[in-house]
Amino acid sequence: MKIVVTVKLVPDTNADKRIDPATKRLVRSGVDIVLNPFDEYAIEAALQLRDKLADGSTVTIFSMTPENGREVVRKALAMGADDAVILSDPGLAGSDLWATAYAIAHAIRAGGFDLVLTGTQSTDAISGDLPGMLAENLGISALTYARELDITGGRLRVKRETETGYQTVSAPLPALASVTKSANEPRYPSLKGIMGAKKKAIATLALADLGLTEAVGSDGSRTEVLELATPPARERGRTVTAADGPEGARAVVEFLKSRQLL
Amino acid sequence: MKNAVAFVEHKNGAARRSSIEALCAARAAADALGGTVHAVVAGPQAAAVAAALKAYPVDRIHVLDDAALATAGVDPQVDALESVARAAGPSLLVVANTMIGRDVGSRVAARLAAGVNADVTGITVQDGRVVCLSPKLGGTTITSCAFKNSDYGVAAIRPNVFPVDARAGAGELVTLAPSGKTYAVTVEDEVEEAAAELGVEEASVVVSGGRGMGGPEPFTGMLHDLAEAFGGAVGASRAAVDAGWISHGHQVGQTGKTISPQLYVAVGISGAIQHKVGMRTAATIVAINKDAGVPIADFADLLVVGDAFAIVPELTKLVREAKAVHA
Repeated sequence: MKIVVTVKLVPDTNADKRIDPATKRLVRSGVDIVLNPFDEYAIEAALQLRDKLADGSTVTIFSMTPENGREVVRKALAMGADDAVILSDPGLAGSDLWATAYAIAHAIRAGGFDLVLTGTQSTDAISGDLPGMLAENLGISALTYARELDITGGRLRVKRETETGYQTVSAPLPALASVTKSANEPRYPSLKGIMGAKKKAIATLALADLGLTEAVGSDGSRTEVLELATPPARERGRTVTAADGPEGARAVVEFLKSRQLL
Repeated sequence: MKNAVAFVEHKNGAARRSSIEALCAARAAADALGGTVHAVVAGPQAAAVAAALKAYPVDRIHVLDDAALATAGVDPQVDALESVARAAGPSLLVVANTMIGRDVGSRVAARLAAGVNADVTGITVQDGRVVCLSPKLGGTTITSCAFKNSDYGVAAIRPNVFPVDARAGAGELVTLAPSGKTYAVTVEDEVEEAAAELGVEEASVVVSGGRGMGGPEPFTGMLHDLAEAFGGAVGASRAAVDAGWISHGHQVGQTGKTISPQLYVAVGISGAIQHKVGMRTAATIVAINKDAGVPIADFADLLVVGDAFAIVPELTKLVREAKAVHA
């Protein structure tokens, strides 16, 4: 079985992120680029499934990224994935959710797959909409927010988180699942893994390889950023020191009453 | 785009509040566009939900009431929203930015080859174009983003931001025909772990605990009690979730949920940037911390410096008393 894990490369979560007012895109130069932390749970889930199946199944990492993301993708290979494909083309710059899902679906379909795993969201865009859009573009079921995954008899079965608990949901393969943070503890690459990853293949696809019929990039996107604004910063409020519980509680209650919150 | 179609998420025969907000946001957008507002309700007990929706400003309520859909996940809802959108013609689709809303909105967008604006906190119409406002980069930037290259667009609105407009509309009920499809997805069972609780995304009051809680007990004890007194939900910082004191579904922050409650009470949370980005758009922030020098002091409306373990139970008592007087 071929498991494909889509990963996004994002600015380091601790970096000071900003949007270029001219291009209205996230500035990605001068900031460390890392694997989207949410995607590490999908990678770990894929590795665990592969090792449990132990039937020659493979894990392929897929990323739509500029060429400079190649070495970041190698970190996923160091975790234990078998190979990687990057889709890299200047014509993809400025792609919105729709264009991204459309292009990725074509690239994944070209390489073949039985199961696609994604993170639930990225730390830079945080929309959480890509898994569903990708599944639709691939014409497969989407089992989102999975905290446990299992494959038996050609069916993917997940425990899907809900706001109040979980559901057990299943669908026949091929299918897509997005993997939550509670699914596992992603492994750190071992020294052997890091050394081994240097020899693993990272194939490169360009737009011309995909045979797209619709435009992508800024021109083909379905959304367009018109303006950027900076909201007013929150101001420092009052500080009250409470000698004991009742005094602290009264301070909160008086404040809430002054704001008609109680 | 001329019309607006709201997707209504429901459970046990009642619409979620965030879906009512979506419907009202759809009304405002359709008024600016000079169009009609549709609501889509599918699944078990949809007819009861639809009847209750008549209290809100919607022109047509499309209903697919079928108990058998309970085991098909969101696929029938995706089909229903898609078919209503296609019949309505060029339109703005509004869903709540919840787990189900995101799933349905993103999938219908892909089917309609439409764009998605996520985590929307404002919708305007400029020169006939729908423009969505969304906080980005942890709320430090607000983008105005229009739809293009498609007859449709999907706006996933942040719960607790759009006002509810309780004026009844025409509320014409339209019965949707079942698709007759056999759905690939099967929901085999559903387990409620915290049935009485609202999710942090939707609650108007969130009481969160952080590293200062020291263990799991406060999350099921004093924080839970205070949240319950307010009729709100329990949240947590990453430190508390990573320590295993409470599940990830409660996490507020960069690697958790981004929320805008009316009141956010941060207990034993320092307010590091990764937490701040998840709650800075709360209308009011109250922090309780033993240390006056914590970062949250810079952006909380009130910081009470003291022993949270003494203050919170007292506060719960006072809140219950105040609520009892009003009730």
